[in-house]
Amino acid sequence: MNNAIELTDVCWSADKGFELRDLTLRVPTGSIYGFLGPNGSGKTTTIRIFMGMIEADRGDVRVLDRPVPADMTSILARVGYVPERPHIYPALTVGEQIRYHSSFFRLWDRGWAEELRKRLDLDPGQKIARLSKGETGKLLLLLALAQRPALLVLDEPTEGLDPVVRRDVLAAALDYVSDTGATVFISSHLMHELERICDWVGVMDHGQVVAELPMQLFKNGIKRLRVADAPDAPKGIPFTVLSRLHENGAGSGETWIVRGWEPSMRHYFDSVGATLRDVIDLDLEESFVELLRSSRPPTSGSR
Amino acid sequence: MVQPMLLVHWKQARLLLIPFIVAGFGLPLLAVQGFGGVGDDRAVSMEAYRFLTSYQVWLPYFPMLAGAVGGVLALTSWNWDHQLGHVYALSLPVARWEYAMLKMGAGAALVLVPVAALWVGAHVASASVALPEGIRAYPNQLAFRFFAATMISYALFFAMAAGTIRTTVWIVSTVMALVIGGNLLVVVLEPYVPALDDVNVVQTVLGWLLRAGGPFAVFTGNWALIDV
Repeated sequence: MNNAIELTDVCWSADKGFELRDLTLRVPTGSIYGFLGPNGSGKTTTIRIFMGMIEADRGDVRVLDRPVPADMTSILARVGYVPERPHIYPALTVGEQIRYHSSFFRLWDRGWAEELRKRLDLDPGQKIARLSKGETGKLLLLLALAQRPALLVLDEPTEGLDPVVRRDVLAAALDYVSDTGATVFISSHLMHELERICDWVGVMDHGQVVAELPMQLFKNGIKRLRVADAPDAPKGIPFTVLSRLHENGAGSGETWIVRGWEPSMRHYFDSVGATLRDVIDLDLEESFVELLRSSRPPTSGSR
Repeated sequence: MVQPMLLVHWKQARLLLIPFIVAGFGLPLLAVQGFGGVGDDRAVSMEAYRFLTSYQVWLPYFPMLAGAVGGVLALTSWNWDHQLGHVYALSLPVARWEYAMLKMGAGAALVLVPVAALWVGAHVASASVALPEGIRAYPNQLAFRFFAATMISYALFFAMAAGTIRTTVWIVSTVMALVIGGNLLVVVLEPYVPALDDVNVVQTVLGWLLRAGGPFAVFTGNWALIDV
């Protein structure tokens, strides 16, 4: 088994016009996969498809080497899921919710659940309706982890949490992964968080995956180049130009956002009579924004 | 899984169920209020007559209570799942039909609580009055009928509540439209069509549903705790 999650040419459309088009996604087994995308790009819909909650109109979906939705029951027994919005019953207490949840999982680790409860400082007698957002997030993670999943799916798990709770939640998830080698699929807006923990990244926009690559490549491969005297239609470029912008002020300076850049490619500019003035590293957030910008129709100011 | 499911359902339904438990216990007692002892033969027959006619007043409340208990238990069984978009249920490693059966089973088990209250109430009511000769109490039969009616109501509402709100609204409005439309048609056509009542579809269907042997016959049958 090479991939924990595999979606191939998946199509899905909603009544309101939103659709996923020929979505292909590969989440390598054992990876921590960051799933990025602006609001409404289709991240949660994609998760719901491979979690078997909604059915794709077309395409092939496999999770943990089993087909979705045909083998959903056995898949879900090995998947820990923390949804975007809390989904647990508000009138139960923390202890009752843990007991209820555990009754569905054969691999439930009671001792570890108790250890996690203490570590995350959750009161078993506290009613769920009265939990703070942070406590609810911790409880959801406890429920997902104590079932000993082979795949952990976290949909915006730290959204709205304060930095301390966010750190607790991520630390608990990462400890589990380092102990067990489980795969983590994490969808989040918090780029810096993903940058720190993920080794793979997938970027989604308008119902399509626009990039999927190892985090290191994503971070190092997208650069901002400052170029002078660049030809209008350069040929034989050894990297991908995501966008070209005229710099403000006099002169023929341009800013290129490129993907797949390597230092040895500097010589290319000499060969076309241009001058490479500077190579600037982008952080994950800048790379993400530039990637999205390049995948959308051009705006004024770009060529 | 059954026990936690039962706990979840109980927590959802208990506040609404408590008045019905009280009503289940109290209704048989209310129905026999004011019945005293008996004297000579004539007094016995008069007392028996008064007994039965007085009891008749309370009869409609038993099936109404059964219908309400079934409805409340059915609606509360899906309430949280609807509110949470079924995300939790769908993330559990259990087949959808099995989850629905667990829910249904938990609700069916809770039906026994008001039924037990009514059964106890009926026994207490039977024991609290001196019955005239020729009159007998049927607390077990009454409790069983109440159980059967509650289960039918529960099953019907459970099936409706399991669907989306849109589906439920569609079903209810279709039934309402058929009943109202059918009756209006009868009113409009009655002056022109002789013996229209014989071909009144709404009346025919209702008659089939409620008559002996029909699916809802238990609601219209004999609810007597006290009878000859």
